[in-house]
Amino acid sequence: MQKIPLNLATAEMVLARDIFKNDSPTGMPICGKGTELSDSLISRLQQMGVQSLYVEGHPVWQEGDRGLTEQLADLEKRFSKTMDNRYNTTLLEVYRTHFTAAMGDDGGRTEE
Amino acid sequence: MDERRSDLKKIIMDTKTLPTLPGVINKLNSLSNDDKSSVQEMARIVSADQVLSARILRLANSPSYGFYRVSTISNAMILLGVNVVKSLALSSSIFEIMEKNSVGLWEHSLGTATAAGIIARKLALPEVEEITTAGLLHDIGKVIIGLKCAEQMPLIRNKIKLDDLYISDAERAVLDTDHAEVGGWLSKSWFLPDKLSEPIACHHNVACSEDHRVKTSVVHLADVLIKASGFGDSGDSYVPPIQQLAWDQLKLDEALLQEIVVELEDKLVEVKNFSLELASAAVA
Repeated sequence: MQKIPLNLATAEMVLARDIFKNDSPTGMPICGKGTELSDSLISRLQQMGVQSLYVEGHPVWQEGDRGLTEQLADLEKRFSKTMDNRYNTTLLEVYRTHFTAAMGDDGGRTEE
Repeated sequence: MDERRSDLKKIIMDTKTLPTLPGVINKLNSLSNDDKSSVQEMARIVSADQVLSARILRLANSPSYGFYRVSTISNAMILLGVNVVKSLALSSSIFEIMEKNSVGLWEHSLGTATAAGIIARKLALPEVEEITTAGLLHDIGKVIIGLKCAEQMPLIRNKIKLDDLYISDAERAVLDTDHAEVGGWLSKSWFLPDKLSEPIACHHNVACSEDHRVKTSVVHLADVLIKASGFGDSGDSYVPPIQQLAWDQLKLDEALLQEIVVELEDKLVEVKNFSLELASAAVA
């Protein structure tokens, strides 16, 4: 699952979460998860002021986007000075789990 | 040693050449000390400066605040609080320089503000807005050092790279002071309230905060989280150690940390877009 800004959405991407009016979870749902996007749907969403959405997988690779292995290697490097701090190792573990889940197709999904 | 430091303090605090603190801030300061003045009056002063107004509205509508669709300055002032608008006015003029010079530091600051807001809300702390502003301003010392000590900057950068140092250590090696201390001096000279100046001055050493230890702990943790996430560029790429005092103050545990990280990473996508938007607006 990946969160992308609406202007990077293209037809045939599949929604991984519901879209709500005004991007607010308390707002009215506009479009349910599992919906396949189409050009007309995307322009409708633009008109409604939707700014970002969640799609299945990791379809958008922007310049500088890194694969999971690279991301994890960078993460370890950032923590390399503080591995003797138990709070930091806890945080490292949290981030490692999060990155791994976020890059997977089904991971990163929170309870809805 | 001490002489060099006090010389530097003089140079840095030379108000005549300090880049900002526009007249608007002084007017706001005097109005906010006057019980009889109204928000509308203050809003009028802010509105007179269209660039500042645009920035305040933009910030009020930014993901770091979570209030959407704020369209008037007086609404922004009511929602954010006068003090926050004052410090936003302050920071936006500072960040004008920052945006141009260092998008990385701007992103780091915006990210820290977002993280601080999330932590504060998650822990149901009072004065979330002030904590967010403190997060936004926590590295203001770096901007000042960059401006006032431009000659030493390459030295500092070199030290970070060659000796594998944290930026604070490199700053202390070259300047005998660091950005937290400079930020502290600056916030004193600008009469920022303690709830902002303490987190700025103590975000690397929570123990030095006296009255606002919880706020300082939040900003400390927010800074750590943003560095862990690899968002923006604060000068070095190493995650600072989480201080036990901060951990205890906020009564953190792994589950809580996990909730915060998930929410933060979620928000950071929007923050990234916001900062790209700003950057492209600055170019245009």
